[in-house]
Amino acid sequence: MKRILFPVFVLLGFSSQAQIKADDVNSFTLKNGMKFLVVEDNSIPNANMYLFYRVGSRNEYQGITGLSHFFEHMMFNGAKKYGPKEFDRTMEFNGGANNAYTREDVTVYTDWFPASATEVIFDLESDRIASLSIDPKMVESERGVVLSERSTGLENSPWRMLSEAVQAQAFQEHPYHWPVIGYEDDMKNWKQADLERYFKTYYAPNNCVVVVSGAVKTADIKALAEKYLEPIPAQPAPPKVHQVEPVQTGERRILVQKDVATPYMYIAYKAPQATHDDYYALVLLSDILSSGKSSRLYSALVDGKQQATAIFSSYGESFDPTLFSINAIAGKGVNETDLEKSIYEELEKIKKDGVTDKELQKVKNQKLIEFYNQVETINGKSNNIGTYEVFFGDYKKMFEAPDRYNKVTAEDIKRVANAYFNKTTRTVGILKANTAE
Amino acid sequence: MNNFRYIKFFLLSLSAFIGVALKAQDYKLPAYQQFTLKNGLTVYLMEQHDVPMISLSVILPAGAIYDGDKAGLASLTATALKHGTKKYPKARLDEELDFIGASVSTYASKESAGLSAEFAAKDKDKVLDIINDLLTAPVFDSEEFAKEKRRTLARLEQAKESPRSVIGSYFDKLLYGDHVYGNIISGTIGTVTGLTTADIQKFYAANYIPNGSAISIVGDFNSKEMKATITKMFSGWAKGKQENANLAAKPIAKPTGNRVLLVNKDDAKETTFYIGAPGISRNNPDYVAVSVINTLFGGRFTSMLNDELRVNSGLTYGASSRFSALKNGGSFMISTFTAGKTTEPAIDKALEVLKKLHTQGVDETSLASAKNYVKGQFPPGYETSGQLANLLTQMFWYKFDESFINNFQKNVDGLTLEKAKSIIATYFPEDKLQFVLVGKAADIKKIAEKYGPVTEVQIKEEPKKAF
Repeated sequence: MKRILFPVFVLLGFSSQAQIKADDVNSFTLKNGMKFLVVEDNSIPNANMYLFYRVGSRNEYQGITGLSHFFEHMMFNGAKKYGPKEFDRTMEFNGGANNAYTREDVTVYTDWFPASATEVIFDLESDRIASLSIDPKMVESERGVVLSERSTGLENSPWRMLSEAVQAQAFQEHPYHWPVIGYEDDMKNWKQADLERYFKTYYAPNNCVVVVSGAVKTADIKALAEKYLEPIPAQPAPPKVHQVEPVQTGERRILVQKDVATPYMYIAYKAPQATHDDYYALVLLSDILSSGKSSRLYSALVDGKQQATAIFSSYGESFDPTLFSINAIAGKGVNETDLEKSIYEELEKIKKDGVTDKELQKVKNQKLIEFYNQVETINGKSNNIGTYEVFFGDYKKMFEAPDRYNKVTAEDIKRVANAYFNKTTRTVGILKANTAE
Repeated sequence: MNNFRYIKFFLLSLSAFIGVALKAQDYKLPAYQQFTLKNGLTVYLMEQHDVPMISLSVILPAGAIYDGDKAGLASLTATALKHGTKKYPKARLDEELDFIGASVSTYASKESAGLSAEFAAKDKDKVLDIINDLLTAPVFDSEEFAKEKRRTLARLEQAKESPRSVIGSYFDKLLYGDHVYGNIISGTIGTVTGLTTADIQKFYAANYIPNGSAISIVGDFNSKEMKATITKMFSGWAKGKQENANLAAKPIAKPTGNRVLLVNKDDAKETTFYIGAPGISRNNPDYVAVSVINTLFGGRFTSMLNDELRVNSGLTYGASSRFSALKNGGSFMISTFTAGKTTEPAIDKALEVLKKLHTQGVDETSLASAKNYVKGQFPPGYETSGQLANLLTQMFWYKFDESFINNFQKNVDGLTLEKAKSIIATYFPEDKLQFVLVGKAADIKKIAEKYGPVTEVQIKEEPKKAF
């Protein structure tokens, strides 16, 4: 039913003897610069195609915020051969389904289909990449859709509102300042010309990495890619994002009002991008803090002091310097100031005393299982391979990651905690019912 | 933050077991063995050697239908299993599982309780010992329980901040009335406040019994050895007798007319709504056919509902429909959300689409498309050992066998236009609709009245026993 890339590796833990072969991924680049990564996997009679475009809200500016995400929606609304609605209808008629997501750095299109429909998928993708048509009528109905998407996000999770506020404080000049979904007023103001320019600039084959996994043959994929995608001309490289966020020199705080039972807290420290050497140590530090019930923050604050009902930390891959965040919901009757103080106490302990070898081994073991789970399915394989290719610069880094994690020492954890958990580069957001007191 | 094109859960309108490989002639459920211990515990073993991992799933007759007037009891009992045993006190339990990266989670659903686990094959002796101990010798420590209760109460309050989190419970109460299928799995602030460890002990003793339960293990092991291990390990679990086991067999009252439950949320900017009716039970012989028609109506991106409410009119980010099937009954619901000011056109359009399904039916092309779609999207549902372990316990619970999987393509292909017509007439409601609207009552009450007699409740208040 399934096949794994790293069987020996899982058995042995982070052993240096682990046999990991990047050879399972076949790679070729078309003449127009479009790069393909293919994994042959016959565990199920299905395949997928993940297209990673290097464009996201990071490529926007104030006035057109949210356009990358909106454009992602418009990619489904008609091209030359397959008009409005025909992309989805054709795909579903052939047994396929799709979705797409937009982040700060990338826009990713995901097609899941029976392997026998592979050529149809190539036809559909090449049609919209070569000759998308932006129908003004579709623009208007789709505008309503994304406004509803924004609204339902805010309606159903206080985190959405709070994270947007914190991001806007933490980043004052860099485009991570605004939310991926965009500002409501910008959303109502996107123009036809903005969309057309965006398509030409960013939806060029040379700005895209395609990953295909499943019951396919690399030679067949190559032939289909040459037939359907190679004729699409390359475009000049998109303009570089030139903004660099200035160093933060003091703590920033923000309060947000929403009718909630107890306060929500979002503490964010400035942290480096995926290609930085400290990336792996910081990921493990995040796990030590909040992965599992025996983690530092959960055991101290949810279980022990009971100051929080939920706590988690988050740090992930990005193109430019990003945030390492700690998020908590205060318990009933708990003063959020006390909760905040307790969180800092836990961080200080790590800065001063470090972590135990057992703790570090624990998160390394967890990482291994997590890593395995991520590549257990053909969809997980495509998503991970593509993510490593665009965020870390090379899909082969995915195969090096276990070793990179394995090499992190307790001393490294202590060092990065001291390097990044600083009051001066911290932004603290609190969302609560009464902000007037 | 990722912004998706389409909310993924809207795609899951079919139960996870619908669909079949396009090459379904070749697609058979992998071989497995089944046996029953003397104490009545049914065991399924399926070897999958591609990866050195094991997935495990347990199903027990200990769901919320047995809550009585203590809503949340089944759920908290399941959660409290992880408060530890004599051999594995909570701190040790958490540490040991975390250290090897093993996941063991316990939960209650409407009819059953469950345990799911995933761990490296090399850790099987340790994890199986832990699982056996959790299921058969939990201690229900009172201090841990007090903490769990406080967290649960906080979460129940937080859930009221999200219409999407609470609308399902209101809908089940409205549709099922005082039938046990209306029981609220998570409990309410009022009922959870009163729960004690004595309640938990009693619920555990009555319902966590091997007879009527099943355990499935899928992954990298030797079946002969595993059979010996499991037999030895679980044979000490004493057989029990469940009083009122058939509580859910009681007839479910059918709605006699349209009704609207309006849940007021003062700060709502949207209206989140369900429009529903009685559905089908899991053993309905038309289950597969109903699922195919529902795919067309509201179970995929190009479905009639999503096409009209999202693509054509931009009223919402997503509109869908689903059948939720239980042992003795089920529900059908249309589900979507829209800005407060577009509440009326959104509800009207949803009703229009439902009417259109009845008046215009489906054509050859759209039926073929739906069939291809459910078949094509099937295999990824059985890709991992966790999915297969879950399938085996579902087969046990709902009493179906691998013919459901192995004959699925045949059953899907056998759905003719004529049959489709009768499926629509039989299972998709035309009237006596049950509406739940969560939104700002001051703005939408007049609109709500258009659709039937309105009962208004406050989201912050304790839900009534039945509406």
